[in-house]
Formats: sequence, structure tokens, C-alpha cells
Amino acid sequence: MLSRSQSSTRPLVVKIIGGFALAAVGALMGYGLANALQGNRDAPWADSLALAMAVALLTIAGLSAITLALRPSNIPRGCGVLQIIVFLLAGVLLLAPMYAPAFAAPDIVFGGVVLILAVQTVANVMLWRAADEMLRQVISETGAMAFWALQTALFLYAAAERLGLIDTISGWGLIGIVMAVYLIASIVAAARRGIA
Amino acid sequence: MNNRLKVLRAERNWSQADLAAALGVSRQTVNALETGRYDPSLPLAFRIARVFGHPIESIFSDTGA
Repeated sequence: MLSRSQSSTRPLVVKIIGGFALAAVGALMGYGLANALQGNRDAPWADSLALAMAVALLTIAGLSAITLALRPSNIPRGCGVLQIIVFLLAGVLLLAPMYAPAFAAPDIVFGGVVLILAVQTVANVMLWRAADEMLRQVISETGAMAFWALQTALFLYAAAERLGLIDTISGWGLIGIVMAVYLIASIVAAARRGIA
Repeated sequence: MNNRLKVLRAERNWSQADLAAALGVSRQTVNALETGRYDPSLPLAFRIARVFGHPIESIFSDTGA
């Protein structure tokens, strides 16, 4: 027999503090991104896009961590923590190639990127295995939407490039676009289930 | 598809988190089920029926039928 939980009776002060914490993270990340973009006006658009994506991913990780702390949930077990790890590492992966070379040689940085990517891939697989059926459906729909949109866009871009109508986009620019489309697709898929 | 999850849960005075724990899914999934944003798989529908002690057809109804 189930017993009634106390989850709906959290003190008002905790809810208010949580709201302020969420707003503070959003504001800090927005301020940081605006400052970074302002300070790098001459940076290539690919770097600006990657930076914006990284900040978005780190913000989502921060907001998810606060939400998890305020409203702990162990079902499905480990899902909340794994989602935070995946977002966090995705943000780090986008920042490392731009900022880490100031502190380490490029080959060292690349080795670190490979290592982080391997850890993130394992975390993604663990998240899939731990997820309940609705989260798996959201992940699947995100992949399908992103694939369809990116395949269509890639074909149009490739045709235009072959015809000499547009300039070639760097691999770094392409991955920024991929991450942006994937992020938008995940928001749409989650919103359809009332999660976002 | 329509369902009576919210009513059945309210009758037992359970929170969404309580029902989610009993079903082994997230609270967001229970919320999506109750608001009609997600239709459960057959195994989950059977689990829901077992938790409430009702046959599936008394909990879920197909509006298109």
C-alpha cells in the first residue's frame, strides 16, 4: 500500500530560495555569455555559436542540478544525475578546443577531448538504460527530428556549395550547428510531453 | 486516448511522486500520462491496472473507437 508523500508540503521558503537560485544561474550565464560575445566581436561566427551552445548546455546542467537538489527523485534511478553529467560534459567539449589551448598543447587538448567524449558517451548509454519509457521516447524523437532537419539542411548546403553559390563551412561551424539543432529538437520533444 | 489516472490517484490521496514510485517511472511521466501528453506502453498500462486494482479498460478509453 502506498503512503502519501511529503513532496507537496515543502516549505514555502525552500521554493522561494529555489526560484531565486534558478533565476540567479540563468542571469549569471546570460551575463557571462553577453560579456564573452562582446569581448570577442572579431571571433569567427563558428566560435560565437559554439560558445553560445556551451553556455546554454552549462546553464541547463546548472538549472537541472538545482531542480534535482530541490526536488530529489530516485526514479528512474540515477537519471537526474546522468542528465546533468551529459549536459555538463557537452558544454565542456565545446569550450575545450577554443580555450584550453591557452593552457596546454593542442595534442594534449585533443587527447582530453577524446577522453571527455568517451566518458560522455558512456554516460549517454547509461542514461538510455536507466531512463523510463517516456524519456526514451523523448530521446528517440529528438534524434529523429534532429536527423531529419540536419539531413535536409546538409543536402541543401552541399548542393549550394557544389554549385559555388556559398562558401565552405568549417567542421567547427558544422558541429555548432548540429548542437544547436539538437538542442532545439530536444526542447521541442520535451515540450510535447510537458517536460520543458 | 483518455484515462482516469488523475481521478483514481486523487481517490487514494496519492501524489504524482507516490504513483510514479509505485510504477517505477518518473513524476514527469505520470504528469504526461494524466494530461494526455503520453500514451503508455502495454506493459506500463498493465502495471497501472495492477496498482489501482482495476481492469485496463476501466482506466483507459479510446476516444476514436
